[in-house]
Amino acid sequence: MEQQNFLGAESDSGLPESNGHNLNNNGHAGKKSKPEKEAAKPATDRRRRVTAESMATKQKEISVSEFFVKNRHLLGFDNPRKALLTTIKEAVDNSLDACEEAGILPEVWVHIEQTGDNRYKVGIQDNGPGILKSQIPNIFGKLLYGSKFHRLRMSRGQQGIGISAAGMYGLLTTGKPVKIISKTSPKKPAHYYELQIDTKRNKPEILNGKGDGIEIPTGEAGQAEIVKHGIEWIETNHGTRVTIELEAKFHRGRGGVEEYLEQTAIANPHVTLHYVDPEGHAKEYPRAAEELPPEPKEIKPHPYGIELGMLINMLKDTPAGTLAQFLTTSFSRVSTAVATAVCKTANLSSRAHPKRIGRHEAETLFKALQVSKINPPETDCLAPIGEQLLLKGLHQVVPAEFYVAVTRPPAVYRGNPFLIEVALAYGGTSPMQKVTRETLKELLAESDARTLRQFLTNTFSGVGTEGANRILRESELGTRAAPSKLKPKEVDALLSAMKNVNLEEGQSMNVLRYANRVPLLFLPGACGITSAVINTNWRSYGLSQSRGSLPSGPVTIMVHVASVWVPFTSESKEAVASYPDILKELRLALQAVGRKLGTYLNRRQKVKQEGERRQIFLRYLSKVAEATHYITGEDTQTIYNGLVELAKKKTSEADLVLDESGQAQTPSADDLELGDNVLIVSEDTHAARLLPSLAPEQPSVDES
Amino acid sequence: MGKSKRSDSSADQYQPLTIKLGEKDARTLDGIVQLAGDVVKAATKQKDPFIEIPARTLSNVNFNKRRKIIEMGKATNRRQLFNLSQAKSYMQTLLVAKGCKQLIFEQKTTSIRGLFYLLKGTIEGTKEETFDTQDECDPIIEDVEVTLNALREELHVYAQSRGNLAGPLTLVDSGDTIDCARMGSSGYSIPSIVEPDIIQFIKCDAKFVLHVEKDTVWRRFNEDKFWRKHNCILSHGGGQPPRGVRRMLNRLHNELGLPVYCLLDNDPWGYYIYSVIKQGSINLAFESQRMAIPEAKYLGLRSIDFDRCNLSNSVKIKLSDTDVNRAKQIASYPCF
Repeated sequence: MEQQNFLGAESDSGLPESNGHNLNNNGHAGKKSKPEKEAAKPATDRRRRVTAESMATKQKEISVSEFFVKNRHLLGFDNPRKALLTTIKEAVDNSLDACEEAGILPEVWVHIEQTGDNRYKVGIQDNGPGILKSQIPNIFGKLLYGSKFHRLRMSRGQQGIGISAAGMYGLLTTGKPVKIISKTSPKKPAHYYELQIDTKRNKPEILNGKGDGIEIPTGEAGQAEIVKHGIEWIETNHGTRVTIELEAKFHRGRGGVEEYLEQTAIANPHVTLHYVDPEGHAKEYPRAAEELPPEPKEIKPHPYGIELGMLINMLKDTPAGTLAQFLTTSFSRVSTAVATAVCKTANLSSRAHPKRIGRHEAETLFKALQVSKINPPETDCLAPIGEQLLLKGLHQVVPAEFYVAVTRPPAVYRGNPFLIEVALAYGGTSPMQKVTRETLKELLAESDARTLRQFLTNTFSGVGTEGANRILRESELGTRAAPSKLKPKEVDALLSAMKNVNLEEGQSMNVLRYANRVPLLFLPGACGITSAVINTNWRSYGLSQSRGSLPSGPVTIMVHVASVWVPFTSESKEAVASYPDILKELRLALQAVGRKLGTYLNRRQKVKQEGERRQIFLRYLSKVAEATHYITGEDTQTIYNGLVELAKKKTSEADLVLDESGQAQTPSADDLELGDNVLIVSEDTHAARLLPSLAPEQPSVDES
Repeated sequence: MGKSKRSDSSADQYQPLTIKLGEKDARTLDGIVQLAGDVVKAATKQKDPFIEIPARTLSNVNFNKRRKIIEMGKATNRRQLFNLSQAKSYMQTLLVAKGCKQLIFEQKTTSIRGLFYLLKGTIEGTKEETFDTQDECDPIIEDVEVTLNALREELHVYAQSRGNLAGPLTLVDSGDTIDCARMGSSGYSIPSIVEPDIIQFIKCDAKFVLHVEKDTVWRRFNEDKFWRKHNCILSHGGGQPPRGVRRMLNRLHNELGLPVYCLLDNDPWGYYIYSVIKQGSINLAFESQRMAIPEAKYLGLRSIDFDRCNLSNSVKIKLSDTDVNRAKQIASYPCF
């Protein structure tokens, strides 16, 4: 019955589709449409061109590998720039998953090396547990092979496609095999493989060592072997390194490798990243936390989250002897009592054998499961980053003055537990604007940047290419001027431009999206997270926002969706699907950080206003005192001082920003009673932390 | 925030009184010193300094039906130093007081424009001026007048003179004897201050006063020597008559017993001028007593005269939008 209905629906939907096709053609070319229309008409008397038999000779199985070779965009390999990033991302994800599962504090090396025009060699190494010799070929040389697909557990990888697909892409574009070296213990030999995928059969092919790989012994002999085969390997006790050569395009700035690593560092404060870019610049992201996140538990599916077909398969595969036993062992949150109740609702015997349950009975069982009252799934399977670590991670990477983080309690969509975390960083002047002339001169002399623009973007954080361009335009210096050869006058022009250009102007909120600690760098528009951010009314929290767009201001917000099964819109894991339950939790979390931001901005605004008020009063006091002196003969200074004191009393709130010397101070978190999920950073300490060479200049007190 | 640097010019330094002041000046000075004394008190006792200024608004005037003039009510506006919107005007008020003291001390008078330039200057450490325009200064001077309950002449300030008269009248203006019948084509310019200590009437043969609205009409009448033919004093106030003209009319009416006739346009402005001469104005309600002439008569066309006299349409001028608005505004005044 069900099947027939299904088929019926299919053929129904077939009709409008063909109509649509014709219409489309009409629209395209009026002349062509006529003959085609006739051809489309069912011609009963026409001779058959093919028979079922001849068609059968062409019908054959398609291997997953072949499918993905043709549809590589589904996996994130649609253009060379993205291919590079996806490759690195998949490898890093795997490394982090492996390390965390094994309880090792992850340390990851990412090396990119240019080998030709549009050709790059990417090497990613970790200090993970290593991979057994027998598993290496399958893991790296076979699509849809992995440990993560069949379990419900929070992890970065899900399907087991990523790294093999990256290898396949490399092979496809450069013909070079994937090179893997893995070591499981300091005492055991490491293994070195050169692999390629046989796409027709979706099977790995080992190229080196006569199809068996090479064994690298420990100690001196191993070193010699490594040199002999030209293997790249950083000596560690255990770990894996995968090297893929691929057609790619290296790109700095937004959507680049650096941004990905930076964002990974924010969401994974327990990870140390070493990065060497194609130009040989090394960059390091040291870990901010010495503790691994708690190990996420694996859970069984929740009855509300399964579908009928899945239930039928489970019934077929279960080792359980009775229906009740099946229910309690295969699902989470189903106790014996619940199982009995479900069986009763379904009108089935609780002692029936699961394998004998027919399709019709399975359907009643499925319906019974959906209507029974069952507790929501356990949520201890999720390992949130945590508010404190979020603050630390964000503080480490994004310079700002105000940070807030919120971790929502877990919730459930379609039977899958998930939770939302949001952290927000606001404001902060770029350390660039605090540089003195002397330090600037030193920095210019030391810099190895070839152009001024490069100097600006490389030396100061928070200055993008756009910002650098604006500074250079303001200073009227050429973009290509060499930093070390500036004349004193030009240095002055640069300095004043650096202080005057407002980098915040027109800046819109920077949204960092994460799913299970993995940054999502593409398709922000299609993502449920972005739409949740846009649909939140930020105006009530003191940010400006035009309808249907992101709020503007110096704000960075990171949103983390953690789940045992993150609903991505495609296999390349670029955007999170907009499930209503997820959107609701996102909204609540965004509002929670928004409220804190609002309180802070409100207070800041008030302090600023009070300061301005005081300025206005002070401006007129000298004239008032003068006039009073002239009329009454009282001492001008006495009157003036009295009035100033009064003015200060009247605008006492401004004292939060203005101390004796008139130096700016920021209200502290304690004053605002915002709670412990908020971090407020004084700007001076921040500048010092970011660039130790740029010691904050002493505020010049001009009292005389 | 130590902006202690101050200009040392002697003009800003307190100087003890060296001359003996008249009774009037002494009284005015007392008021000024009291005004500034509040600031001293505020500074030493840490209290909010403020000035109570009688309100010169529509809501604070009453029409005294018995005396038929507009009188000022008792409402006051508090002007505070530590109020964002009032801080500047507070300072300006004190500056005006200071300027007036200077004038009294030096026994000089100046025009309100002169006082404005005397006090105008850039505030130290800012780009702001004490007064931007004279329009900003004039209401402050009026504020000081009402606050001290002193007349403008008592503050040694006068307005630009406007308005002239001609006719069989001989008077002494600051010691000079002037025969207003021999003033040529422009007539005698009525000064801003026409108090008895400045102007004394010597001889008057006129039977009444004819006040016309503006210079144009006045010149027509003067050229035709209307005042000689009809034996009257011909005056005009250049539109809304300034204080000097009004006070002059008032004195002519009260001291010489001359009836006052006002030849004005038949439009909202003309009517309002008549009402001001007759009853006093809102802004200067505190001076109504000295200026209003409840017995003044309106002379000229009224709207009903159009039908009554069978006038042609050519004499009509369409009211503009501002005219209509003004008419509605006036109509809502209690004294109308």
